[in-house]
Amino acid sequence: MKLYEFQGKRIFKENGIPIQKGNLLTSVEQINKIPPPAVLKAQILSGGRGKAGGIRIWDGSLEISELICDMFTKKIKGEAVAAVLVLEKVEIIREIYLSITFECEKATPVLIVSSEGGVEIEEIAKKDPEKILTIPFNPFMGLTEYQIRYVAKAIIYKNFQELKNIIDAVYKIFKNYDATLVEVNPLVVTPKGMIALDSKIDLDEKSYYRHKQLYDSLLKEQRALQGINKDFKKYELDTISYIPLSGTIGLISDGAGTGMLTLDLIKDAGGEAANFCEMGGLTNPEVIYKAMEVVLAKPGIESLLVVLIGGFNRMDEMAVGIIKYRKEHDLKVPIFIRMCGTFEEVGKRMMNEAGIPTYDDLFEAVNEAVAVI
Amino acid sequence: MSILIDKDTNVLVLAITGRAGVLQTKTMIEYGTKVVAGVTPGKGGLTAEGIPVYDFVAEAIRDYQIDSAISFVPPRFAKDSCFEVIDSGIKFLIITAEEIPDHDAVDIIYYAKLKGTRILGPGSAGLIAPGKSKLGAHPSRMFLEGHVGIVSKSGALSYEVGKILTDAGIGQSTVVAIGGGPIWGLTQKEVIKLYQEDEETKEIILLGEIGGSMEEEAAEFISRNVDKPIVSLIVGRSAPKGKLLGHASAIIEGNKGTVQSKVEALSKAGSYIARTPTEIVQIIEQIRGK
Repeated sequence: MKLYEFQGKRIFKENGIPIQKGNLLTSVEQINKIPPPAVLKAQILSGGRGKAGGIRIWDGSLEISELICDMFTKKIKGEAVAAVLVLEKVEIIREIYLSITFECEKATPVLIVSSEGGVEIEEIAKKDPEKILTIPFNPFMGLTEYQIRYVAKAIIYKNFQELKNIIDAVYKIFKNYDATLVEVNPLVVTPKGMIALDSKIDLDEKSYYRHKQLYDSLLKEQRALQGINKDFKKYELDTISYIPLSGTIGLISDGAGTGMLTLDLIKDAGGEAANFCEMGGLTNPEVIYKAMEVVLAKPGIESLLVVLIGGFNRMDEMAVGIIKYRKEHDLKVPIFIRMCGTFEEVGKRMMNEAGIPTYDDLFEAVNEAVAVI
Repeated sequence: MSILIDKDTNVLVLAITGRAGVLQTKTMIEYGTKVVAGVTPGKGGLTAEGIPVYDFVAEAIRDYQIDSAISFVPPRFAKDSCFEVIDSGIKFLIITAEEIPDHDAVDIIYYAKLKGTRILGPGSAGLIAPGKSKLGAHPSRMFLEGHVGIVSKSGALSYEVGKILTDAGIGQSTVVAIGGGPIWGLTQKEVIKLYQEDEETKEIILLGEIGGSMEEEAAEFISRNVDKPIVSLIVGRSAPKGKLLGHASAIIEGNKGTVQSKVEALSKAGSYIARTPTEIVQIIEQIRGK
């Protein structure tokens, strides 16, 4: 779950990271308390907002309500603006980049810093990678003093204790909130010390069970700003991942790898998938039943392709779910079921008895599902 | 030889009395895997599929010599259970659970590296050394003893390719599923290194997918260290940008993580590139001069 800047900054403040004075406007009617010159920042979840017109300076020559109104009516990076954060302008001496995240393929946390922070950080990463310092550290010990001294030297910053306090706080947030990314970009040097001018925090939804209250309240706050009042319990045990696409062939698979392969094979055969729907490798009859419901609910589906190759997933249970679905629904499109793997003998026999043909060969099933259109 | 496991590997099953544990223990034993003991806290003294169950790993180790462990422990209890295995000195641990929080996964793998335990997973379907042993969910009939080594992120894709190779009479030395990420113990590169060193493995198959940079890192390793023929298949050619496709890391952001960038890197490193499983079979047959 990505947090808005203002949510991240609230967490920064609670953990002792200095931020600018500011106030959050959630509607045009709200009254601003920050005098000009001030910075207006559109609250959206996408990155790269500065270059897309999501950050404006208010010098006092216009009414602030005009600028704010304009921001609320615009979409930035295709996203509606959830709120506008008005911040006092600070005197910037220079900008630093600082973040803690995981280097996934090495399974280690890393501190990333650069003496040249700001909106160009991705360009710097491409052109001058040596200007970006990546320090892996022990997840049980956190960052040690020598590592922070090393950072202080690299970014040429004299006040070691101040830098240490900020890095320690960023680490604390990373660990205690189960974040996968805590980024301060830029961390600016001002005459009064360092200030976090922006925040980016990603929380790991897999750890929802140990932060229920916190994650729920953050998500609720986001949904309210986005005007979504629907039930926000999206974390309830649902292993189905569903992505709508633009074609006409409904696709259900019991593994992400085979799902992607099938997507490619459908295209090779001249068809186009209507969606990508992966059930996860450990499922039961209810999951396949629900997957069929979700996929077939989309208008314009002309055939349904179910690709099953069970390891943990049991074909007898898949058969139960599919047969039940067919019994309870009037299927309007032809279905093509590729079934093999764990308990395939039982599964295929059940399908056969129910009069639903199955395929063993993936290519054959794909080709038939495309040819029928 | 196969890699990581062989016919004499003594196996411990964690959460042996759970739904997945019971079923997988049964199929592993049927395949010939030497499952010697199981652990489920609170169920010590019982048996599951004829295998003695213990409360603690240390108790099982007192009675049996154990080489490898496979865990079916649910995500929220995984960390503690993995620490117990690592502390007991077992050298190879397969974690099947998906949805383990990233911080826990990193803690487990980091600790395992310090203590010298190899981790396969999390979210791994396990591995099979056809004709010898299997630790995990690979459906037996799709695999045949032979000389091709497979490493795949996805479990299901490794079954898919195993099946088509087996149907064509091409056997495998070992088939390893490392998991869909976003945090990995054993990586593609590390498994490829084991295949390069394994005498029985003649050709290597790399099954990758969109997202991340692991395939590029594997390519870098291949170009310097591997002289066995490698065939790579990267799935997700037709995937839309910016969408997460099931696996936590299977996403294309900007120009990073694309099939194109992976295929280019692997091709430059000297790998054959297949677009479909059928092409893998054709390429292997070509290499063998059939």
